[in-house]
Amino acid sequence: MVMKFEKYYRPKTLDEAIELVQEYGSDCKIVAGGTDVVIRLKAHMLAVKTIVDISAIEELKKVEIGAQQAVIGASRDLMSLSRDPALCASQWQIVAECAGHVSSTQIRNRATMGGNNCNASPSADTTPALLISDAVVNVVGPQGKRDIPIEEFFVGPGKTVLAPDEIVVSFTLPEQGDRCAAAYHKHAIRGDTDISIVGVGVRIGLAEDGTVCKARVALGAVAPKPIRVHAVEEYLVGKQLTDEVIEEAARMAEQSITPISDQRASAEYRKEMVYVNMKHMIRAAVEKIG
Amino acid sequence: MSVLENKIVVSFEVNGRPVELLVAPNRTLLEVLREDLGLTGVKHGCDDSNCGVCTVIMDGKAVKSCSILIGQAEGTKVTTIEGLEGENGLHPLQQAFIDHFAIQCGFCTPGMILSAKALLDENPNATEDDIREAMHGNICRCTGYKKIIEAVEAARDTINAKA
Repeated sequence: MVMKFEKYYRPKTLDEAIELVQEYGSDCKIVAGGTDVVIRLKAHMLAVKTIVDISAIEELKKVEIGAQQAVIGASRDLMSLSRDPALCASQWQIVAECAGHVSSTQIRNRATMGGNNCNASPSADTTPALLISDAVVNVVGPQGKRDIPIEEFFVGPGKTVLAPDEIVVSFTLPEQGDRCAAAYHKHAIRGDTDISIVGVGVRIGLAEDGTVCKARVALGAVAPKPIRVHAVEEYLVGKQLTDEVIEEAARMAEQSITPISDQRASAEYRKEMVYVNMKHMIRAAVEKIG
Repeated sequence: MSVLENKIVVSFEVNGRPVELLVAPNRTLLEVLREDLGLTGVKHGCDDSNCGVCTVIMDGKAVKSCSILIGQAEGTKVTTIEGLEGENGLHPLQQAFIDHFAIQCGFCTPGMILSAKALLDENPNATEDDIREAMHGNICRCTGYKKIIEAVEAARDTINAKA
């Protein structure tokens, strides 16, 4: 179908973009890669009169990998992120790995970190990576900057806490600590081009004596938004990762969710796949620590 | 305000030739390539960036032109299947698709060849796994994928033998 918007702006600077979203508010939509927004514009699922295209703003594409933190620009494409040597070698490697699981080559060449998260799909593959990395969403709006913990960013399917005149600028990832690693499994029928049936992300930090000193668990496609499972995290901390402990953690994760049945999978299957993949991902994270 | 009053000027390069257009902004790169520039080798399939028949190469990367706004083509270099044939005939990928029977109905072929070209330009020694990964976003409903992979491997070897 023909897209119905009338005005199109392609600002070169963030300041210009902020002025535009202030002026048009809820009557405008921000587009970066376009792989989600353009499809929804064509399907008339989005009815805005104005498009603010932020894809020409260079400062939103920056990636800075430091010792204490990493900052990933909102309109950085997922392909270059998935292959970024500094990111891949860092404590935030899981972000590159998850970016590489988003759809196909052509889509990753366009799709952005900001878009994959602002789209607020419960099954977005980069979100679990941000959740298990305690990421902060850096936002600017008319009142200036604000930082939103990623766990508080999502409201429901397609909905975030962003006001219509706010723009996501970047994501900040804090230091994860020594002897710490993360793993993610995208469970889908047709590989990465498919939408996840479940996504399971786990981060484990181990103390010198081998007990868990840090645990993060995030699940995709099992709730109206991507979720952290705090009960499992709290259970794991302070324990040795025996087969029994891993089994119990996986059961707890499975019992903590009430997924829906849809065309991709039944609720029962989703629960079972969370159980199975939780066990695999705990072990995979530990293996990465080495 | 009507769409007509809000037309934008877009300058980019298509198959090595500069193009400057006055267009309504609510159109996709796919629509403009096909309807305004007559490049109907770029196919219109699912229209939601799943099938890959609208694949073109933009600044060296394979992209799906049905989810790119025409304004986003500004300043870019776009290659369609029409831009592949050189003075000495077909591109090795085109020839390999013919030689290896990697075509039946042909509708997916331009997108397949352009995804393969973007891959081989970046990674001349792409393995079968690399090829399958790079072409995951191109769907063929006729051939199965075996002949297509074989054709890309053959073209890779032809190109490397000439280099």
